[in-house]
Amino acid sequence: MTQGGAPLITLEGVCKRFGKVEVLREISTSFASGSVAVILGSSGSGKSTMLRLINRLESLDAGAIVFEGRRLGPGTGTVAQLQALRTEIGMVFQQFNLFPHLTVLENVMLAPRLVRGTPREEARAKALELLVRVGLEEHAPKHPFALSGGQQQRVAIARALAMNPRVILFDEPTSALDNETVGEVLDVMKELARSGMTMIVVTHELGFAREVADRILFLEKGRILQDAPPAEFFERQQDPRIRAFLGRISH
Amino acid sequence: MAAAAVALVLVLWLSAIPISWFPEPVGSSAEEFAGGVRTTVELTLIAGLIGTLIGVGAGLGKLSHIPPVRWVCGAYVWAIRGTPLITQIFFVYFALPEIVPWLQMSDFAAATVALAGNVGAYNAEAIRAGLLAVPRGQREAARALGLSQTQAFLHVTFPQAFRISLPPLVNNIVALLKDSSLAFSIGVLELTNVGDRIRSATFQPKPVLLATALIYLLLTSLMTLFSSSLEKRMDIEERQP
Repeated sequence: MTQGGAPLITLEGVCKRFGKVEVLREISTSFASGSVAVILGSSGSGKSTMLRLINRLESLDAGAIVFEGRRLGPGTGTVAQLQALRTEIGMVFQQFNLFPHLTVLENVMLAPRLVRGTPREEARAKALELLVRVGLEEHAPKHPFALSGGQQQRVAIARALAMNPRVILFDEPTSALDNETVGEVLDVMKELARSGMTMIVVTHELGFAREVADRILFLEKGRILQDAPPAEFFERQQDPRIRAFLGRISH
Repeated sequence: MAAAAVALVLVLWLSAIPISWFPEPVGSSAEEFAGGVRTTVELTLIAGLIGTLIGVGAGLGKLSHIPPVRWVCGAYVWAIRGTPLITQIFFVYFALPEIVPWLQMSDFAAATVALAGNVGAYNAEAIRAGLLAVPRGQREAARALGLSQTQAFLHVTFPQAFRISLPPLVNNIVALLKDSSLAFSIGVLELTNVGDRIRSATFQPKPVLLATALIYLLLTSLMTLFSSSLEKRMDIEERQP
């Protein structure tokens, strides 16, 4: 580990299988507060599953995940504990998953109102502030369908930020976007990283990884094959499998 | 939408006036016809409302993680859809009190219960289809934000599902309005029954049946008008021309 912050999330021998397929095999690593980790790997390597285990959209089969000293293993954790955990972990999805029946503003306000009981005016002010931050304040009254993919994803980031999470998980946030709008989403993510947000990002955007990440985790067949700072990972890559992977996705 | 609701109330309270303009023998029996209209609309609205609640419950039940709940709801839909409505009405009115003595109901109540149970089964399928049409990612996004299961359902899944279910639900309620004529068979004085009594008293089937049909047509048109304005309001993406 190269960064100095205290670990916010620690994975201890985490295993996950879907039926007979072992998706994650004894993953152990930790993520420091304020750090940006980028997870690379070919499809089916377990990247998304690893993210989804952290906020328990998937249950784990063995091992444990420690979040700020709270350890949750398989089958442990009440519904309320898991819910409380999720309020502190933001997530941004590949398909945005904005709520189509609500306006942009309502999308951002919903969770603070329902989960934290924030008064309407306060939630509204905070939501508008976040929409300014992602450059979409003038779209506040619109419904998501009226926005481009890049704009929708920026709303999704604002929606995650509205809960003041300790960490945000990004699950291939630009994979569903056309090339023109990828940049605007990456810019918002870079700004977030500079502001000190803890981020775990599954992506194929090597430029972003090189520029923003504190470390790169490379997953293969459910194991961490390599864990290195970007300079080392990209400039002095020794592993032929990773070199082949980088060659495939950089054009 | 408000306009359609007002029109419905007007029909309910003032229907005797336009009916009195109908040719004889309908015009002179306008009060009886108006009473029949009120009963038909009451049957439809009460059974429709209860049937929608049953539909939500049974639709959810058919998607439950608990197998017995799924079985019970599945059996309910299976039995109702597989038997004639008139048998169900007779069953509630004549057979149910024999099985459970305190379930002795008036003809109107029995008809309402049978109609609600009937439309509930069809509504369950409409609601289930709507729930299944909401993408998985919606529930995941809601849960990832820390919403409870109930909050995710009430604020995210259900509003979207309901919008998808609305056209088939309206279909069912329109069918219910016409099916309510079967309450005639246990003596409820609804529109068809009123018309039939006047027909047999006056021996003039043509004007009476035409008037009856015309009133049903007017009622179903009003209902369609109401639902399309509701659909329009919910059509946020402006997908309808």
